[in-house]
Amino acid sequence: MTETTREGRARSRRRGASSGTDGPASEALLALGDFFTRWDESADRRAVYREGGRRGDVFYRDRWSHDKVVRSTHGVNCTGSCSWKVYVKDGIITWEAQQTDYPSTGPDRPEYEPRGCPRGAAFSWYTYSPTRVRYPYGRGVLIEMYREAKQRLGDPVLAFAEIAADPEKRRRYQSARGKGGLVRISWDEAIEIAAAAHVNTIKTYGPDRCAGFSPIPAMSMVSHCIGTRFIQLIGGVMTSFYDWYADLPVASPQVFGDQTDVPESGDWWDASYLMMWGSNVPVTRTPDAHWMAEARYRGTKVVTVSPDYADNTKFADEWMPAQAGTDAALAMAMGHVMLKEFYIDRQVPFFTDYVSKYTDLPMLVTLKQSDDGAYVPETFLTESDLGGSSENAEWKTVLIDSRTGEPVVPNGSMGFRYGDAGEGRWNLDLGDVEPALSAIGPDAQPAEVLMPAFDAPDGSGSVIRRGIPVRQVGGRTVTTVLDLLLAQYGVGRDGLPGEWPTGYDDASSPYTPAWQEEITSVPAAQCIRIAREMARNSEESGGRSMIILGAGVCQWFHGDVTYRAILTLLMITGAMGRNGGGWAHYVGQEKCRPITGWISLANALDWTRPPRTMTGTSYWYMHTGQWRSDGSRQDALTSPLAEGHLEGLHTADVIAKSARMGWMPFYPQFDRNPLDLADEATAATADGSAPDAGAWIADRLQDGSLNAAIDDVDAPENWPRTLVLWRSNLFGSSAKGNEYFLQNLLGTQSNLDAADSAEGPRTVRRRDETPQGKLDLLVSADFRMTSTTLLSDIVFPAATWYEKYDLSSTDMHPYVHAFTPAIDPPWEARSDFDTFTALARKLSELAATHLGTRKDLVTVPLQHDTPGEIAQPGGRALDWREGQTDPVAGKTMPVVAVVERDYTTIADKLVTVGPKAEQLGFTVKNITYDLEEAVASIAAKHGVMSSGAGEGRPAIDTDARMAEAILTFSGTTNGRLAVQGFRDLERRTGRHLVDLAEGAEEKQITFSMTQDSPQPVITSPEWSGSETGGRRYAPFTVNIERLKPFHTLTGRMHFYLDHAWMRDYGEQLPTYRPPLDMHRLFGDVEVPRDSRGENGRGEGEPGALQIAVRYLTPHNKWSIHSEYQDNLLMLSLSRGGPTVWMSVQDAEKIDVVDNDWVECDNANGVYVGRAIVSHRMPEGVVFVHHAQERTIDVPKSQKTGRRGGIHNSVTRLLVKPTHMIGGYAQLSYTFNYLGPTGNQRDIVCTVRKRTAPVTY
Amino acid sequence: MNVVLWGVYPYLVLVVFFGGLIWRYRYDQFGWTTRSSQLYESKLLRIASPLFHFGILVVVVGHFIGLVIPESWTDAIGVSEHMYHVMALSLGAVAGIATLAGVALLIYRRRKTGPVFMATTKNDKLMYVVLVAAIVAGLATTVVSVFDPNVTNYRETVSPWFRSLWVLQPDVDAMAAASTSFHVHVVVGLALFAIWPFTRLVHAFTAPLHYLFRPYIVYRSRDDVPGTRAARPGWDPVGTRDRDR
Repeated sequence: MTETTREGRARSRRRGASSGTDGPASEALLALGDFFTRWDESADRRAVYREGGRRGDVFYRDRWSHDKVVRSTHGVNCTGSCSWKVYVKDGIITWEAQQTDYPSTGPDRPEYEPRGCPRGAAFSWYTYSPTRVRYPYGRGVLIEMYREAKQRLGDPVLAFAEIAADPEKRRRYQSARGKGGLVRISWDEAIEIAAAAHVNTIKTYGPDRCAGFSPIPAMSMVSHCIGTRFIQLIGGVMTSFYDWYADLPVASPQVFGDQTDVPESGDWWDASYLMMWGSNVPVTRTPDAHWMAEARYRGTKVVTVSPDYADNTKFADEWMPAQAGTDAALAMAMGHVMLKEFYIDRQVPFFTDYVSKYTDLPMLVTLKQSDDGAYVPETFLTESDLGGSSENAEWKTVLIDSRTGEPVVPNGSMGFRYGDAGEGRWNLDLGDVEPALSAIGPDAQPAEVLMPAFDAPDGSGSVIRRGIPVRQVGGRTVTTVLDLLLAQYGVGRDGLPGEWPTGYDDASSPYTPAWQEEITSVPAAQCIRIAREMARNSEESGGRSMIILGAGVCQWFHGDVTYRAILTLLMITGAMGRNGGGWAHYVGQEKCRPITGWISLANALDWTRPPRTMTGTSYWYMHTGQWRSDGSRQDALTSPLAEGHLEGLHTADVIAKSARMGWMPFYPQFDRNPLDLADEATAATADGSAPDAGAWIADRLQDGSLNAAIDDVDAPENWPRTLVLWRSNLFGSSAKGNEYFLQNLLGTQSNLDAADSAEGPRTVRRRDETPQGKLDLLVSADFRMTSTTLLSDIVFPAATWYEKYDLSSTDMHPYVHAFTPAIDPPWEARSDFDTFTALARKLSELAATHLGTRKDLVTVPLQHDTPGEIAQPGGRALDWREGQTDPVAGKTMPVVAVVERDYTTIADKLVTVGPKAEQLGFTVKNITYDLEEAVASIAAKHGVMSSGAGEGRPAIDTDARMAEAILTFSGTTNGRLAVQGFRDLERRTGRHLVDLAEGAEEKQITFSMTQDSPQPVITSPEWSGSETGGRRYAPFTVNIERLKPFHTLTGRMHFYLDHAWMRDYGEQLPTYRPPLDMHRLFGDVEVPRDSRGENGRGEGEPGALQIAVRYLTPHNKWSIHSEYQDNLLMLSLSRGGPTVWMSVQDAEKIDVVDNDWVECDNANGVYVGRAIVSHRMPEGVVFVHHAQERTIDVPKSQKTGRRGGIHNSVTRLLVKPTHMIGGYAQLSYTFNYLGPTGNQRDIVCTVRKRTAPVTY
Repeated sequence: MNVVLWGVYPYLVLVVFFGGLIWRYRYDQFGWTTRSSQLYESKLLRIASPLFHFGILVVVVGHFIGLVIPESWTDAIGVSEHMYHVMALSLGAVAGIATLAGVALLIYRRRKTGPVFMATTKNDKLMYVVLVAAIVAGLATTVVSVFDPNVTNYRETVSPWFRSLWVLQPDVDAMAAASTSFHVHVVVGLALFAIWPFTRLVHAFTAPLHYLFRPYIVYRSRDDVPGTRAARPGWDPVGTRDRDR
């Protein structure tokens, strides 16, 4: 150091020492500089030492100095649930950056950090963007009329009632929806109008005419919870989202008896064979895609299946380019290969042990002999068929013990789940029993069996004759599910009759590799190779073969059977319930890990039970009039072997039928106000004329003095009247059949071009006039102007994700973490929590004069994971209306309950924990959590209310407090509850389970902990996997390792579904069903099947070239749903504005070059966008990415002269009846667990080049 | 007219020039830049930029000699009129042509290289027009003086006027007597100075000349006062005005 001290430097200078710089010239220059200055230079003239002069630094230092940095995230349903640092400077949010403090996954694998993507990094733009909703808005014409009426009448409710009831006034504001004319109003007035509309609807029509929609609780639980709680407290209807979004894989309830449970992305690393099937991981799971790439470095083979050269394909070792919608054909053929080579040619003990224990393959199925002697499979053989009379014997399935050849009733089936006798026996422990997988044996006879097949391109059914071994058990002819499965897959065995493929190269017989090649265009050799590799990998790795599944497969009409065909590959190779194995279905941020607290508080179960929840698809299909133009009949899709349960039915008939049999909900319930019905029913019970409300209702329905609302759904008294939307953009994103919503539900302009079909439903009345403008009031809360807010009557300015307290969790990682406000909501924005508490306060105030305390008659369907799911044994689909059985509430029709609602105390109840929490506990998946201690701890932390209806009750009166309550009331975040839940489950199963959570009793994840860092959750019976000991979460590991049954009929994973409607649809077993032939079913344009054939060149308008294509709406790289697609940064990174991806070949046919304007249209509506012509695209399909709104650069359509639509303007709802089965074990309703999917991928449309000038 | 052009206009330009520079320095230090386009294109720039800049430096020196040094001084040291002009013409022509060629190449590059053209603002385009006009007009005076024997000697007209400006006694008559070619060049040249502070030309005043004489590494210790910044208003709490509605 001495040489660098000043004295040292001075010394050296005196010595004149210089080591030289760049040469004599620079030496001279430096010497000159030194001579003319008094700077303190080093001796070698390489450095100069100065003081001060650092004012210029301030800018750079300032750049990274902030008031504060807070943890928050984005509630955008992207599944990322990435934790972010939000920076605030001078009170202004400046930017965000990724958090890096995710708990480690351990030393031997990659980490969750980094998480994030450009979309999330662009979010802070919204805070001060031009699209921000800054003030409450009201529809101008409505506000004027309301102010006038209120001044005259002096009462908000009377004022609103008058306007809503006056046809002329109604028309005036309804027809103005979406056409501008929103005016700033005060919060007080906005709240008052919304509250008045609700009070008016409850009073006039009933609370079941008030609807609310807010999806995906996991993306911001508190916001979802508070609004839902409000809706449920007033007796309104919450419509579902998981099935409505077609994100629900219906195969999951069908096969596993579970809504959906999937591995976290960290578990991809454990896979040694990884397929991505219809899931474009880098685009739609951006922060998790690194696990897939890293697994490859570990040696995992990665295979993709997608019709286009998708982004994930470039990461893959192999690409199987199956044509859009034909995935099941490929899966069936792969199953064919696996069954042939790993079950028949060679037996693999690892596989056969697995399927005997964990699947229904050894279960016996009864067979019915048809006229020509061949058999048709019917229902599972049950103990009652054998003459057994034990408790719930009709729900106990039977298998044959291969040691004795005798039938035995194994533990674990649904018959053991309820009732005292089953206690300790609901498990998969087979004891000494060795299940016979096949009926083959000394007692067996070969017989012919009839199987439906649907491989004709138009989807129509045919019958294949194959052979099975049959036996006589208890006087019935039976076989095993495996025998049926082999017959279905065309895997022959010696000595069996019937027609069989001659080999893999037999293209004429389903489901061989050669057969699939003709359908999917995937080479047969590749199909065989991948099937072999995957099965071989499972065998050698102990089931570590994983298939990542997604919307590309799920969102088709027949997505459920396709999923079953793919799940079969995993189940027969022992891969389900393994770390690194099984299915990984990622569509939507579904996993609300603290589920018990969230769902119970959201449904206000602490105050009133049961809540009104509704399947979104059937609700909107009926209330937006999409059923009226639906000309298809079920006969077009049922099996040639159908027994006629669905014969001649219109989809509307099926929905009505399902509702009246107690299978699926439908609201409004009846053609009368349920408040009045409750009064009458109570009076009748009191005077002894009816034993209970259910019987009273059944009588009224029977004699026709009371009707289901759906039977005359278009009658004004049966319309939904209010709709509250928050955290959702229904009309800019998810509304399949968007134009039907605009025209019929909202009563404004649309591009709809659909007329009533020739023949209507049988039981549902179709009025001559299509009602237009059903909703009295559309209310939305959002922080940005969307298509939805533009259509709304009242718009509340909402706080963004950087302006409120909330909670986030996801399927993709095992953590719960917090939203924290970086700033107070700016302008007049308020958090959802504050909005709904204000709304409740006003409603309670208005209720004092108009409602008071009323009784409400609530009908709900028979529910899964409750004793209701064993209400209808045999799955016989008996309809009381057709005289097949008697109407009995809770048995053959919905459950009927009468509850009390004090409308003046809604606000008090909204913000306190009600007494039912500790009195009854909260029940999830049939496990009741005892909340006494949890409630007391909330009371101690937050205090209790000192007055009002919530007096003495624990306060949850802020968003942070509600977050705390959610965490305290859930097993995943409160170890005490997890342990107690496992103890309960141990009693029922007789298996040791509690060790999964033991040691966590004292662990309570508090809200402040989630603000500190993402918190890994506790293993809890709320879910099917285990995180114990830092293990990566994989679903069903508890079932497999601890022999806990699946929540299904047999208690095992199901290949076979024996319900009457499943049989009628020909889907008892996995099968291939082609995309819907929209031409045959709906009269839409015909898409050429041969992609190399001629397209519809020049038909339609003379001179206008057009082609017919399948219209797909996959997810977007530049947006998450509709969020970010209007963000300036994302618009700059992408092409921006509406786009249509199309193939080079298709573009050539209609003379389109890249960036030309094109229009996609059909009877449902029009979409106008710019063509992106790309070699990535296959011929015959276009991609219109979900979600592209009307708000960015959408011109008027050439076809209609009106503004073009959103991506969902060209779609419509296609409702599959088998999704509406209920009251039958795993095929029973629960909110978001089972319901018809709002699938949209089968849609076809015409694409033509725009010739008219583009105008706005 | 002469008074306006040669008596008022120069002072207006002076005020705009110095006022503009001060204003720009105070309010737009981050905009005080060449907005270099070297990242987008460097091959042409490597030739064109030195050609232009060295050329213009010589031109500046020439202007200084021509305008500031009185004829009497050169006469006094024995430089004849003829010698002076041969020198000025030959050196001036070379420098002027180099400058013109340089700026032509720069403009060609700016127009033809996509990213560079994208980075060109309206302000730049205006500046180029004035700059090229000034250079062309300047060269024109030289050319005209060679071929037209009637051209006045600028050292007897323009230069005295120029020097008179600085003592606030503008010799309007001297300038008025100069030939038209000089009038044009002076008007355009003054316009260039008028727009100077508002264009990228400001970089001329912060050319880092001292880099040549300075060690490569500069250590700066902190000022006595720690570098805290003054509080700024930022986001006002949500407006009472709007809420009062």
